[in-house]
Amino acid sequence: MKLLTRYNRINLFSTVIIFLLASAAFALLLRFLVINQVDEDLRIEQNEITSYIQKYNRLPEVIKVRDQQTEYIPLEKTPDNLHDYFQTSKSYYHHYDEEELLRQLNFNVNVGGIWYHAKVSKSLEGTDNLIQSVVIITVITILLILAATFLINRIVLFRLWQPFYSTLNAISNFKLGKGALNLPETNIDEFALMNKTLKQAITKAEEDYIVLREFTENASHELQTPLAVIRSKLDLLIQDENLTALQSNAVQDSYDAIQKLSRLNQSLLLLAKIENRQFNETSVIDIKKMIEEKINQFRELWLGKNITVTTELEEASITMHISLADVLLNNLLSNATKHNSENGFIHIQLKQGMLGIGNTGGLQALNEQLLFTRFYKAHASNENHGLGLSIVKQICEVSGCSIEYRFENAQMHLFVLKW
Amino acid sequence: MKLLVIEDEKALAQSICDYLNNENFICEPAYDFNTAIEKISLYDYACIILDITLPGGNGLEILKELKKANKADGVLIISAKNALDDKVSGLKAGADDYLTKPFHLPELGARVAAIIRRKSFGGMNAVQFDELLLDLQDKTVKVNNQVIDLTKKEYELLLYFISNKNKVISKGAIAEHLWGDNMDLADNYDFIYTHIKNLRKKLLQAGSPDYINSIYGMGYKLSLPR
Repeated sequence: MKLLTRYNRINLFSTVIIFLLASAAFALLLRFLVINQVDEDLRIEQNEITSYIQKYNRLPEVIKVRDQQTEYIPLEKTPDNLHDYFQTSKSYYHHYDEEELLRQLNFNVNVGGIWYHAKVSKSLEGTDNLIQSVVIITVITILLILAATFLINRIVLFRLWQPFYSTLNAISNFKLGKGALNLPETNIDEFALMNKTLKQAITKAEEDYIVLREFTENASHELQTPLAVIRSKLDLLIQDENLTALQSNAVQDSYDAIQKLSRLNQSLLLLAKIENRQFNETSVIDIKKMIEEKINQFRELWLGKNITVTTELEEASITMHISLADVLLNNLLSNATKHNSENGFIHIQLKQGMLGIGNTGGLQALNEQLLFTRFYKAHASNENHGLGLSIVKQICEVSGCSIEYRFENAQMHLFVLKW
Repeated sequence: MKLLVIEDEKALAQSICDYLNNENFICEPAYDFNTAIEKISLYDYACIILDITLPGGNGLEILKELKKANKADGVLIISAKNALDDKVSGLKAGADDYLTKPFHLPELGARVAAIIRRKSFGGMNAVQFDELLLDLQDKTVKVNNQVIDLTKKEYELLLYFISNKNKVISKGAIAEHLWGDNMDLADNYDFIYTHIKNLRKKLLQAGSPDYINSIYGMGYKLSLPR
């Protein structure tokens, strides 16, 4: 639920409740006052009637007027109760010739020894109309308030909260190491404080990230020289013609280990460099030509493993750094070769905006989530360092293309590059 | 002919010198910037192997110094930074070639040999090894004036061997030379064996002696048959 919606709900709910209560109280008070007023009028009428009787010793003539009706009912005996009383009831009202809500004052008068029960009534219909008007006004006011609140929230609150949403937007589009974070200027203290705090936190994270990146790059650089020393010493060692079989095996194993280590190091360095955006110069590359060159390079490898390669190549071009394009194709093609089975297949399909490289190999789909993460290996015993595809992923990210993996027909591992 | 290795890592400089020293070359190391500047002002070298990051100064400064003095020494940059920028600025400043650490010594040997061929012999276009004559322009090989039909890879392999004659070259170094270091081959060198077998067969068929020998299954060496 949006903050605004929540706020609106509480706000509107309480406003409506207060208005309803206030209107009810108002209506009751109004009714009470009106009845008081009517009662007073009725009392005056009663006084007039009693003084008339005292003066003339007869009942006054009943005159039919619009706002009042008087009635005398002769009583056969002296009433037990001489108290006057008011009552509100629906009774016949002569002026309108129908049942109406009446306020009635009942009292007894004695005219020349005969007791009469006198009823003086006034219609409360006017009062009812008043209360109705109050209800209507209330409802209209509530509706107006609802509309006004809605509009105010829509326009004013939304505008007030605009810096918040802008900040939110900026944060959600922000990625560490990919450009600075631009938060909108605001003169609202709370938002300014929020932006300042966020900026501080992000600057710290950014600094840590840069330090980490530089660390990776520096560590890889520093490793290059010792690796070069070890490798050169091995290159010298094998010049010795008196090496025993045991020694030469040891040298061979060392070579392999150094090879692996230096590849790993190169890959880490490459990743750090891609992340450091050191490959920003892009050019339009004839990807078809590039793939054909790669196919020529790999041909002998495929012959060795007896892999059949089929291609469907259309003219296509891609805009990216030429070295990265080279690494990208190399990694995808060497994966398709390395993880292929004996007598397997590779299919390469190229059209503008899409390159698909499929290969046979393991009979099970690879884990899509983990496939592109660093140091992922499908099999623990795997000889590879597991950085090839994360480099591919990283290259795609900086070059504005996408890579996805599919497992088709329960045999084809397919990597699709789209740009 | 003299070679100069400017490299602050003594062990590496020593390896390079040990490898390159032979009947034709005398190799000297220089471990810091000032020594290097002193040496290049005193002597002429056929080829200078230059590290970029040095104590006391930047390797590129040495390169500029050489150009200022109008020296014709060939320069091969070896650097741990395989950033493209370094390569470009190095080559722009007048270096002849660029090699990234860690490298195989035979690769360095081949690059140095190529630079010396270009520089010292006025761009010599042929390489002779015993009965083999390689035409670098046409990329052809002749044995006793008879052209041998080699594939591009086989030709490159032969030139690599001749540039590192009498040295054992590991399979890894051969793979890297022929396929570049980008290709992750998962330590499978079977295909090298096939290439070398074919090359030897073609050379023998053309009537050349068998120069290439397998050494402990670990590498290969080209030398005159004993």
